[in-house]
Amino acid sequence: MPKCFIDGKEVEFNPGENLVKVAKRAGVEIPVFCYHPGLSVVAQCRMCYVEVEKMPKLQTACSTMAAEGMVVKTQSEAVKKGRQGTMEFLLLNHPLDCPICDKAGECDLQDNSFGHGSATMRHGEERRTYVDVDMGPVIQKNMNRCIHCTRCIRFGDEIAGIHEMVAIKRGNNIDITTIDGKQLKTEYAGNYSDICPTGSLTLKDFRFKKRAWMLKKTATVCEGCSKGCNMEVQHEGNVIYRCIPRENLEINKFWMCDEGRFNYRYTQDEARVVDPKLRGPEGPKTAAWQDVIATVESKIRNGEVLFLVGTDLTNEELSAIREASTALRSGIQIRTFGTPGVTRTTEDGPADNILKMKSKTSNLNGAEKLGLEPLTGDARAETVIVFRGGRAGIPKIEAKWTAGVGVFTREESSGFDSVLPGLAFTEKEGTITNHSGVEQRLARAVRPKGTCKPVSEILMSLLNIKSKAGQA
Amino acid sequence: MSAEQNTLFIQHFWKDSNRTLDYYLKQMNGYEAAKKVLGGMTPDQVVDEVKKANIRGRGGAGFPMGMKWSFIPKNSDKPKYLVCNADESEPGTCKDRQIIRYTPHLLIEGLLIGSFAIGCRHAYVYIRGEYVREAQLLNEAIDEARAAGYIGKNIFGSGYDLEITVHRGAGAYICGEETGLLNSLEGKRGEPRVKPPFPAVSGAFSCPTAVNNVESIANVPHIIRMGGEAFAGLGKIDKSGGTRLISLSGHVQKPGVYEMQAGSMTLRQIIEGFGGGMLNGRRLKAVIPGGSSSPVLTAEEIDVVYDVEPLMKIGTMMGSAAIMVINEDTDMVKLLLRITKFYAHESCGQCTPCREGCHWMESILHKILHGEAKPSDIDLLVDVAGNIGGKTLCALGDAAAMPVQSFLKKFRPEFEAYVKGQKRHA
Repeated sequence: MPKCFIDGKEVEFNPGENLVKVAKRAGVEIPVFCYHPGLSVVAQCRMCYVEVEKMPKLQTACSTMAAEGMVVKTQSEAVKKGRQGTMEFLLLNHPLDCPICDKAGECDLQDNSFGHGSATMRHGEERRTYVDVDMGPVIQKNMNRCIHCTRCIRFGDEIAGIHEMVAIKRGNNIDITTIDGKQLKTEYAGNYSDICPTGSLTLKDFRFKKRAWMLKKTATVCEGCSKGCNMEVQHEGNVIYRCIPRENLEINKFWMCDEGRFNYRYTQDEARVVDPKLRGPEGPKTAAWQDVIATVESKIRNGEVLFLVGTDLTNEELSAIREASTALRSGIQIRTFGTPGVTRTTEDGPADNILKMKSKTSNLNGAEKLGLEPLTGDARAETVIVFRGGRAGIPKIEAKWTAGVGVFTREESSGFDSVLPGLAFTEKEGTITNHSGVEQRLARAVRPKGTCKPVSEILMSLLNIKSKAGQA
Repeated sequence: MSAEQNTLFIQHFWKDSNRTLDYYLKQMNGYEAAKKVLGGMTPDQVVDEVKKANIRGRGGAGFPMGMKWSFIPKNSDKPKYLVCNADESEPGTCKDRQIIRYTPHLLIEGLLIGSFAIGCRHAYVYIRGEYVREAQLLNEAIDEARAAGYIGKNIFGSGYDLEITVHRGAGAYICGEETGLLNSLEGKRGEPRVKPPFPAVSGAFSCPTAVNNVESIANVPHIIRMGGEAFAGLGKIDKSGGTRLISLSGHVQKPGVYEMQAGSMTLRQIIEGFGGGMLNGRRLKAVIPGGSSSPVLTAEEIDVVYDVEPLMKIGTMMGSAAIMVINEDTDMVKLLLRITKFYAHESCGQCTPCREGCHWMESILHKILHGEAKPSDIDLLVDVAGNIGGKTLCALGDAAAMPVQSFLKKFRPEFEAYVKGQKRHA
């Protein structure tokens, strides 16, 4: 492999790699704003200056490819002066409203200012201000904070496949906005906020809810479809505040869709059933766990029983259900359900040209690999028990008695005779297998809501009662 | 002075009837060079001839033209493009306009030869939006040439085809920068591209492209007709062949467009000879030698041979050969503010130092002129210019920084007078 020198350190590189990447491998962080590894290189922000031997001017590391024997200095006086100059220029018109800015604490402008800027200000002119346009339900715009890195424009053009963010006017009056001030159309708008290096594009969903540095971060996988985008759940005090994509170059690169990003909301929605229910004469009523377990056990002891299992459950949950079903008694049928029309992986496929898949549940592939058969037609049995992670679309059920195990809203479970509330994907550990066969791990970010229990514990309780009943 | 000069263009200027194909054919051996090229020369031979001619690009950078053409890859499957930069937007420059007005067929024949040399089948002329009449004249000349079979299919029965499209810009200085021009030509925002890749590798529509100035291309028929060596011999200085059209403006008796053999005159000779000396007998104070972006010279510095290398040696540049002569009555602070305002206005806004810095320099200069500046603002101005110059994506940042740096180096007392309150803006 060819080698170059970064601050005296010899580093190997792959031909075509730029100096930002190569330096990173040598442990040298080069500050950037406009550069993003997932977007084209424009060298506009002029922050990533480095000195390259035999080149008279400072070079931008993002647009300079490493070359055999290249000698690069990232800490020389000229580099420091250059970066300081850029920082000064960027802050001339920035409002410096960090105390009330949502980006504070995770802001590239703040970090690079701290690392490379000057502590004093030489600019006494009036700042440039803008009137903001309404960008729709996902993104809040604050153009005064913008540093014109154009990451958002390039994200729209190159990743989301929609030319909706543009630069209008020019020079000092340049404005980064949507075409004709329209609302954003892309279903990937949340990424605009992720890649914005300042607080210019923030998430409406997250605004003013929590300071970034208060958040605890749990690395997990999105359950929004069979893609399995890697993401991070950010939470504090057992409340989830937002989810952001995690880099995985094989699966989702740096991005995720809004559906996946905001999917977490249902897990802490008021409408979620978080305590066990039994139907009484006046409708569903909260009951003691042991009573609900006993009732379910009695219902599945005889007659024709169907276990409907969602393809939104983990591999471990699916295996446990299958094993428990045979242990409970013989003859229990198991059928999977998930996305109408996408019952097998052969029916799954990309739903757009970006990330989304047709299967709106995360583990269709895992369920199929376990040999579970999909439900065809309506669910018809004397007793039906619906196991569900929270996203699988509940089919039409014709049964004398129905119970739900897992995550349901009150409305979804209104026809059920009993609900045994389970854990949402943010509350449990387990693995899911994405459409291409990659097995990934869900991580528990928050404690279960109410008295929700894991599927495995519910199944064990059913088996315990059965064995006690057998002894009696 | 001009009587002794061998010139290629100027004798055909200033008469509307000279722009016709008829005049071109009868008086200027029109399309003979193209006939010679298409009749038996190889593209390499044409490029070699241009290399021998020692012609430097006439747009501003002064890059050897033959070398530029030789960078176009020969074995690429992609179409190749020759794009003529007729955006002529550096303040003070008005020479390309005369070529288009009076000798448009020289440009068209040059495009034909150049296109053949680099393997281009569709050439573009990107003309500045303000040149409404020139665009119309050029299109009329192209129609004449097409009707005569000089462009179109199977030119001179050689099997070679060429189309020429005139594309009008919308009036942005930055579209004179070659990659900004290409973006604009493609219908995008007129913003320079990051280089590399250079246009020779990936230019118009991501294909190999040569971008040449109007005067450069209009010289090509002369080069072929005279032979590269004879053309080079017109230049009276090394590495600079042919003649130079200069745009002389400011406080001279006779401002205008003139032509001289490259390197044959000093700045003083140009001002006194072509310009007829200073207007109204006022004394010379300064000269901006190569368009408003070039570093200013004092009255003591003008005994310099007017060509690329001698000017570079004394820290300035020939640029587009637009000389602005400034007399003793001129307020250098006002003049610099005017120049800086232009670059701040024309900054495309994509890269940080230019977008923020040019406007900041303008604000500081405005404060200095209006007596609102602190003494430290002068050094601040120099420092800001230093943070722009050499640090931007394209040369516009340099263009904005160089006047500020040179004015403050050479005329600093005038700025200090305002700051100290000794002088007030009228």
